[in-house]
Amino acid sequence: MTEQSTVGTKFKSQKFMDFPSMKEALIARKIDATFMNAPLAPKLVMDGVPVKIVYLGHRDGTALMVKNDGPVQKFEDLKGKVVAIPGRFSNQNVFLYKMMKERGMPFDSITIKEMPPPEMPSALAAGSIDGYIVGEPHAARSEMAGYGRVLMQMRDAWPEFISCVLVVRQDVIDNQRAVVEELVRGIAASGEWLDEDRQQGAQHRKDAAVVAGKMFYNQDPKLLEYVLTKDPTRVSYTNLFPPKKQFDDLMDIAVELKVLPKRIAFEEYVDTSFAPDLETVDHTFDRLPGLDKVSQN
Amino acid sequence: MKAEKVVVRGVEKRFERKQDELLALSAVDLSVAEGEFVCLLGPSGCGKSTLLNIIGGFETPTAGTVTIDGQAVTGPDPRRVFVFQEYGIFPWASVWDNVALGLRKLSKDEQARIIQRTIDLVGLKGFEKSFPSELSGGMRQRVAVARALAVKPDIVLMDEPLGALDSLTRMQMRSEILRIWREEKMTILFVTHDIDEALQLADRIVVMSPRPGRIAEIVEVRQEHPRVIGSPEYVRVKHRLYELLGVSHSV
Amino acid sequence: MTPFAPYLIIALALVLIVVGKRLKDPAPVIVLPLATFIIFFCVWHIAAVAKSYPLNDAQGNFVRMVEVFPTPWSTLQGMLVPVKDGMLLRYAVASVYRVAVGFGIAAAIGIPLGLLAGWYLRTGQALNPLFQFLRPISPIAWIPIAVLWFGVKDEAAIFLIAISSFFPIVVGTMTAVRTIPLVYVRSAQNFGLEGYELFRRVVLPACLPQIITSLRLALGIAWMVIVAAEMIAVDSGLGYLIMDARNANYYDRVVGAMITIGLIGIALDWSMRRLERIDEVRWGFTKQS
Repeated sequence: MTEQSTVGTKFKSQKFMDFPSMKEALIARKIDATFMNAPLAPKLVMDGVPVKIVYLGHRDGTALMVKNDGPVQKFEDLKGKVVAIPGRFSNQNVFLYKMMKERGMPFDSITIKEMPPPEMPSALAAGSIDGYIVGEPHAARSEMAGYGRVLMQMRDAWPEFISCVLVVRQDVIDNQRAVVEELVRGIAASGEWLDEDRQQGAQHRKDAAVVAGKMFYNQDPKLLEYVLTKDPTRVSYTNLFPPKKQFDDLMDIAVELKVLPKRIAFEEYVDTSFAPDLETVDHTFDRLPGLDKVSQN
Repeated sequence: MKAEKVVVRGVEKRFERKQDELLALSAVDLSVAEGEFVCLLGPSGCGKSTLLNIIGGFETPTAGTVTIDGQAVTGPDPRRVFVFQEYGIFPWASVWDNVALGLRKLSKDEQARIIQRTIDLVGLKGFEKSFPSELSGGMRQRVAVARALAVKPDIVLMDEPLGALDSLTRMQMRSEILRIWREEKMTILFVTHDIDEALQLADRIVVMSPRPGRIAEIVEVRQEHPRVIGSPEYVRVKHRLYELLGVSHSV
Repeated sequence: MTPFAPYLIIALALVLIVVGKRLKDPAPVIVLPLATFIIFFCVWHIAAVAKSYPLNDAQGNFVRMVEVFPTPWSTLQGMLVPVKDGMLLRYAVASVYRVAVGFGIAAAIGIPLGLLAGWYLRTGQALNPLFQFLRPISPIAWIPIAVLWFGVKDEAAIFLIAISSFFPIVVGTMTAVRTIPLVYVRSAQNFGLEGYELFRRVVLPACLPQIITSLRLALGIAWMVIVAAEMIAVDSGLGYLIMDARNANYYDRVVGAMITIGLIGIALDWSMRRLERIDEVRWGFTKQS
């Protein structure tokens, strides 16, 4: 989403159809910063790509979905079933293994399939998979359509887990500190703004759903509104400071499960110096940019 | 006079075209005696190939009838075999298998005997296992002739069979065809647009003219084979043919 | 390697071309492509090096070069592991197997259907528009349908390969039957061939060279589609290797898999070309004198 800071630097946003292309644009220095699934960032650093996590994108917002009328009632019922994940280096993959480990299930008791997230709801509907675990809005899509049911929200089983992180190129961090600071402050501000009235009607989120759906993602605004407001705790945009403990925990499990080949120090892939003191972040917007353009139709 | 083998009566052939009709043949009458060698001579578009196709049963006349041995022609028949200008022999089969095409109903031994005899007759001994693509144009034409002769046809219909050959090979093939004709004693109808070819081969030359295709005149060649090309009779008939075809013979 | 080494090698390869084209056959057949490949790898190396960039620390001191995409040398190194542990071979076999099954199904349905549609005018009139309508649709567009229909299983990938090779086969066969020279059919009729015998002794052999050509074309397409087909639904094969290596930042393996696909493609095409030398069909591939 376009972030427009109060200082005035314009950040150009670019939509990618899939995660690998986004990652490659970062590697090739065609983009300066991107959001990505948490375990992929340290993997990139290990593979010699100079990038760092400077902030989180959001909190929570991942659900394990199953067929509404299907036999799966609890996680253990997934034994012998097929579950789709968005990729090997996703925290969803790590999560599945963590759940199996905690329940003493062998790691091959669930067949895990990598699949592009947009295809997951229809694959569930067609019965070619028994469940899928993915970030929003792809989880909510099958729920809204009626054939999908939330088996578990990831945050209930793994509180404070890290989902989506903001990754910036090292040379940009080194040479354009002010711009990165501005970007992070903008994200922090819009996060505060999105969450400040979420328990009081969530008008901010409703507006954001319309603008984001129509102007950026070509998604049904109703779906985004559903994701953002039906249960306003489903996704959080506050508490985005990169926490060392959770990153270390994630790294431990990922290495144990061989998703990551080795562990590297927190400081090698995270730079917390940009995360602002939220007290100083001004998050009062007169009006969401672009809302007047799209709200009428 | 020998028995009438082929009788063509009042044959007419029209082809539907986009705007109009093409009258390819108009009121053609022709009798061919058994064992006779008849050439159909004329410029392109005179309907000579169409007439041959009708006699062969590949096309039906718009009006008129064709009878062979008193029986109306209704379709192709192995008793009258067509030799096409572009040979029609199968490039995917060996010389042997090509010649065997019309002999499928005979026993293996019988087949082998006839095939070998025919291949020898056309001078292709030693090439039995060759494929057409390995043969020269003249040899391919011999295969086509052999395949036709193998079924012992009463009539052989040849549609410019030597048209694709060089002139020396053509001369050679003419003698071969005459030799085989004398040995096998069948009736031959031979389409050509080459005056000398017709003169050297035919007992009678049916001269045709175009628009509409029809018979202009039937010229008899009363000369024994081998014919001497410069003889007075040869030159006389040749002049007559030039006149009929409406072309000058002195350039 | 010095920065000038690849340019030097390119110059040498050009010399090799100049000299090689004057050699007596069959030397140029080996020397010329060899030189072309040498130039290709050098250009690739130069491009990869040009795209890499220096990483400096905050004080501006040079730390190391960052490779954006792999050079031929790092591709070779990156492929050592998958070659040694047998993964590459296993995946190549899996891909060839899927192509063989998909292509086999396409041929088993496409050839008979093409013969029917070519021989019987009305059948052809009924089916041809449908073929022409479905033919230009990219196999990639079929992916969602394949997943919905077959699920995330081998069958989905095989379906994609079958559907992409089916249309060239059926249309090629149909055209072959329709363009049989009339003289062959007339000759056959003249000798009393009809029905099944006409089909077996004339129609089929007359079409065979063109059928083989369309099979060759279709196999090329099938092999091309393998990457797309294996990006869904399966967890083995060269297409899967590309997708998986891409996700894991193993770009050397991505390129290594591409090269493997190219090499196997050459081998498949070569084996199809062998078919063209059989006596019964050779006539269709050589110019007649």
